[in-house]
Amino acid sequence: MINLALDRLWEEAVVLERGRQVLRVQSTRDAAICLKNHWPLEEGPAKLKAVSACESVIDGTASPDTARAAFIEAAKEADFQINSWTGD
Amino acid sequence: MNVRDVMSAQVFTVSPRDTAQSVARLMAEAGVGALPVEAPGAGVVLGIVTDRDIVSSITAEGLASTMTVAEFMTVSAETCTEDEDLADVARRMSALDMRRLVVLDGNRKVIGLVTFSDILRAKPEIGEQLPPLFHKTGGRNTRIPPS
Repeated sequence: MINLALDRLWEEAVVLERGRQVLRVQSTRDAAICLKNHWPLEEGPAKLKAVSACESVIDGTASPDTARAAFIEAAKEADFQINSWTGD
Repeated sequence: MNVRDVMSAQVFTVSPRDTAQSVARLMAEAGVGALPVEAPGAGVVLGIVTDRDIVSSITAEGLASTMTVAEFMTVSAETCTEDEDLADVARRMSALDMRRLVVLDGNRKVIGLVTFSDILRAKPEIGEQLPPLFHKTGGRNTRIPPS
């Protein structure tokens, strides 16, 4: 269950492309929603870590950079093309 | 009867830097069609964004779904409080030509949204005392230039 009442913005957006799908994500809450509802992979270790990282950031126990980095790893796992200025 | 009796309790807000697509995802996840826009960190209400804004200002215009909320939101700092009288709020909505207002608690925190329809459902007689509102979701869209 995503806590929709809180959000933590990222410094830079991450833009993911996969076929006709283009996701521009710039906040932790949005990343959590994408992973839950708009993700091509049902499950995967990187996705699991990203979901957990998003929860920690929204709860205030981790920095937004943590969720962003984990989200990028999950996107690699899901074969998204990643456009990000500061990510790897 | 006052605002808290008819409002939709809703505590999530979006930032003017959010995009049309991220707002649409949040609306779908939360099952709502309108969200208050708040300045991040400051907690100041800047306006409201609706699903209709996204359809009419982004999709219908053929604009990118990566447009930011600041570019298509309905700008209005007008709010009401949960303990205000429904007739007073309805009169304000009519004067402002707005069908929705953000509801704040005593600490100026967003706690919900109230629509003109919510008020009329609870007290239909209020509508008879007011001039008819335009059939739109939130007054005329006022675009502000991206920073």
